[in-house]
Amino acid sequence: MINFSKVSLIYPNSQRTIIEDVSFEVNEGEFVLLMGHTGAGKSSVLRLINGLVPHHTGGILSGSISVAGRSTSTLKPGELADVVGIVGQNPANTFVSDIVEDEIAFSLETLGIAPDVMRKRVEEVLDLLALTPLRRKNISELSGGEQQRVAIAAALVANPKLLLLDEPTSALDPIAAEEVLSILHRLVHDLGLTVILSEHRLERVIQFVDRIILIHGDGSLELGTAEEVMRSSPIAPPLVELARALNMPTIPLSVREFRKLAPRIEIGENVGSSGHNSLGEVLLSINELSAAYEDSQRAYALSKVNLEICAGEIVALMGRNGAGKTTLLKCAVGLAPVIEGQVRVSGKNPAHLEGPDLIKNVGYVPQEPTDLLYGQSILEECALADRDNNVAEGSTLEIYKSLMQIPDLSSHPRDVSEGQRLGLALSIILSAQPPLIVLDEPTRGLDYQAKKTLVQTLKQVAAQQRRAVLISTHDVELVAEVADRVLFLADGELIADGTTAEVLNASPAFAPQVAKALPHTNWITVEEAERYFNAKN
Amino acid sequence: MKTAHIQRSGFHPLFWWVWAVLTSSVVLVLDTTNISMAAIAATLMLAAGFRGSTYWRTSFKWILRLALIAFAFRMLIGFLIGVPMPGKVLFTLPQIQLPEFLVGIRLGGPVTEQRLQSTLKEATLLAALILIFALSNSLSNPHSLLKVLPRRFYSIGLAGVIATSVAPQAVRSISRVRTAKRLRGQPGNGLGSWRRVAIPVLEDSLERSIDLAASLESRGYGYFPKTTRYRAQRWQITDTLGVSGPAYVLIAALMLNPTAALLLGVLFFLLILTPVVAR
Repeated sequence: MINFSKVSLIYPNSQRTIIEDVSFEVNEGEFVLLMGHTGAGKSSVLRLINGLVPHHTGGILSGSISVAGRSTSTLKPGELADVVGIVGQNPANTFVSDIVEDEIAFSLETLGIAPDVMRKRVEEVLDLLALTPLRRKNISELSGGEQQRVAIAAALVANPKLLLLDEPTSALDPIAAEEVLSILHRLVHDLGLTVILSEHRLERVIQFVDRIILIHGDGSLELGTAEEVMRSSPIAPPLVELARALNMPTIPLSVREFRKLAPRIEIGENVGSSGHNSLGEVLLSINELSAAYEDSQRAYALSKVNLEICAGEIVALMGRNGAGKTTLLKCAVGLAPVIEGQVRVSGKNPAHLEGPDLIKNVGYVPQEPTDLLYGQSILEECALADRDNNVAEGSTLEIYKSLMQIPDLSSHPRDVSEGQRLGLALSIILSAQPPLIVLDEPTRGLDYQAKKTLVQTLKQVAAQQRRAVLISTHDVELVAEVADRVLFLADGELIADGTTAEVLNASPAFAPQVAKALPHTNWITVEEAERYFNAKN
Repeated sequence: MKTAHIQRSGFHPLFWWVWAVLTSSVVLVLDTTNISMAAIAATLMLAAGFRGSTYWRTSFKWILRLALIAFAFRMLIGFLIGVPMPGKVLFTLPQIQLPEFLVGIRLGGPVTEQRLQSTLKEATLLAALILIFALSNSLSNPHSLLKVLPRRFYSIGLAGVIATSVAPQAVRSISRVRTAKRLRGQPGNGLGSWRRVAIPVLEDSLERSIDLAASLESRGYGYFPKTTRYRAQRWQITDTLGVSGPAYVLIAALMLNPTAALLLGVLFFLLILTPVVAR
């Protein structure tokens, strides 16, 4: 289906070759995962396959790539539209129509498919992706997961032989992600579709894929079955890490396989608990809060929410897409309109805090870290933050350097990887030293390495500097690693508030891999399991 | 040929553009303060009537501010610079002596009734034109133009769409950057911060446009000779009814004696609102 022969790619004005002298083949009907560190070139490889690179973005390509027997070097992406469908990282930017149904049909209109055929195909795809109830809805009113499904439907409706997806589940809650992935799985099995997707959250996809392409980032890549690659891959999901820690002979890819292979371990209590931080004064208190969505007349986003967050604790806010998490966070910084109730940050109403007073009390890292950035280079951003936050020159840069391994300071913030952008936004917020730090979905597009750095930073901020952290996230594994307490929102109401292990283990969809793999323990992270086995041996 | 038999919601994608061209033609042909004021009033009423939550529409309230600024600026310039006009002097501004080769042009000086009237006429005309096109821009999704423009002119169509979607997208980006400034604890909205707003806003719009172009490209837009319709995008009777008001006034204005302007103005104000009836 896809044939890469001695392919090299380099972007102009860039020293690094993305891939160098790479050859591989992908067969028809395969489900392939593309993985690698952030910035390793996953998106570039995906876009090479349908010709967007280099036809649309520029770049110097050597070697030959053929897709379904057609060579991409002479054909433009548009000429491959009938065999290749692609779903980008940010579907919201790519929609052409207002209405779900029209958006899906647009793909067929451009291909000139006869109207009666078109009607049938649209119906089929609507059914396949469970979009029938939403068909007349305005796309801008849909949740992130629903938009993702619309984008997949719009790509699938043209009956492509090959579907390319760039991080299709990064914006989705665990349940929605599972839905999308099982739909893809079914398409591969029933229709013989070839699927290639890139993803960071391996724990979600690895059980579905046949083969893995691992991009090392130095120009080489590795292609093998999922098990082969997982045996030695530097990037691995918690389940694989656990299997490695237990020295298991075969590497299990799903929880079911793990349970078959693993010895039964039963421990009543949590042996190696890290010991809770003692809590300080209340930093965020929310009282009977009701709030609306920022830009719509829809029903309440939040109703009668009560919560308190104290100094020294890290609290995770979870819930499905559209449950009101972002609205709650925005209320905490005074960005969303409060209808009823009270929000107090260190005793003050955040909506009334102006200028430097706001960031001295609460720092907010939005879902898109770029939303916080407007400088022309990382250095300029840091200098601006020093001035805004009234701290000594260079202190923001100092924080940034401590967060990032290879800081590239002259780059434009838009050109660096997702992880570096997040690091920059976080440094800007941290340099103002607000007692309360709020992060909205910080792990979108972060690899395991970047996540580890984030976890360490947040833990340090909470434990040593006695601040409070509130994170909203879909990333179950991150929550297991970092949070002391979990709040669960459903349809605007707070339905659970308890310790991380309690809340996560109560719901099968939100349980981390370790808890699923070792159901008779109270462990939720690989570290806890490792500590136990190390103590035993 | 079976196309989807679902009632199309709203007007034809080109409807508001036709409406805007007709309405602004009337305003330009008649060119009186009253007509421009009537157009402004009608535009505001339409904006209120067709209010919605999509972000294309939120751009209108920002353009409204722009129109106000343009109006004030035009008035100020009109008072300050120009050839002297006769008539009753209303008030006198301090005058600056200009070199002799600029005969007949004054800077400052007396403001007469006639000057006030001519300045007001031009300023309202300017504001009316801005608002008319802002309304059509905010009520139609620029992307839907892609569906009605001929595919042969792929790049022209794309350029047009990017051009018409710049305003609403810039509005969205401006609010994003303002939020960022608030979150980063920056006080004030001084002139020094304009550069910090303008560049990210441009970058944002550019990024969205590139994403859209990539999506169109990979969906084969403009590559296949024959294209088909899922839902008929025909110009319907409601569309004709909607633009009939300004069209009649334009014909009347071109044929009748301009002295009938006041009567026409009243008629115009009522007829300009025909989209409300047509809906």
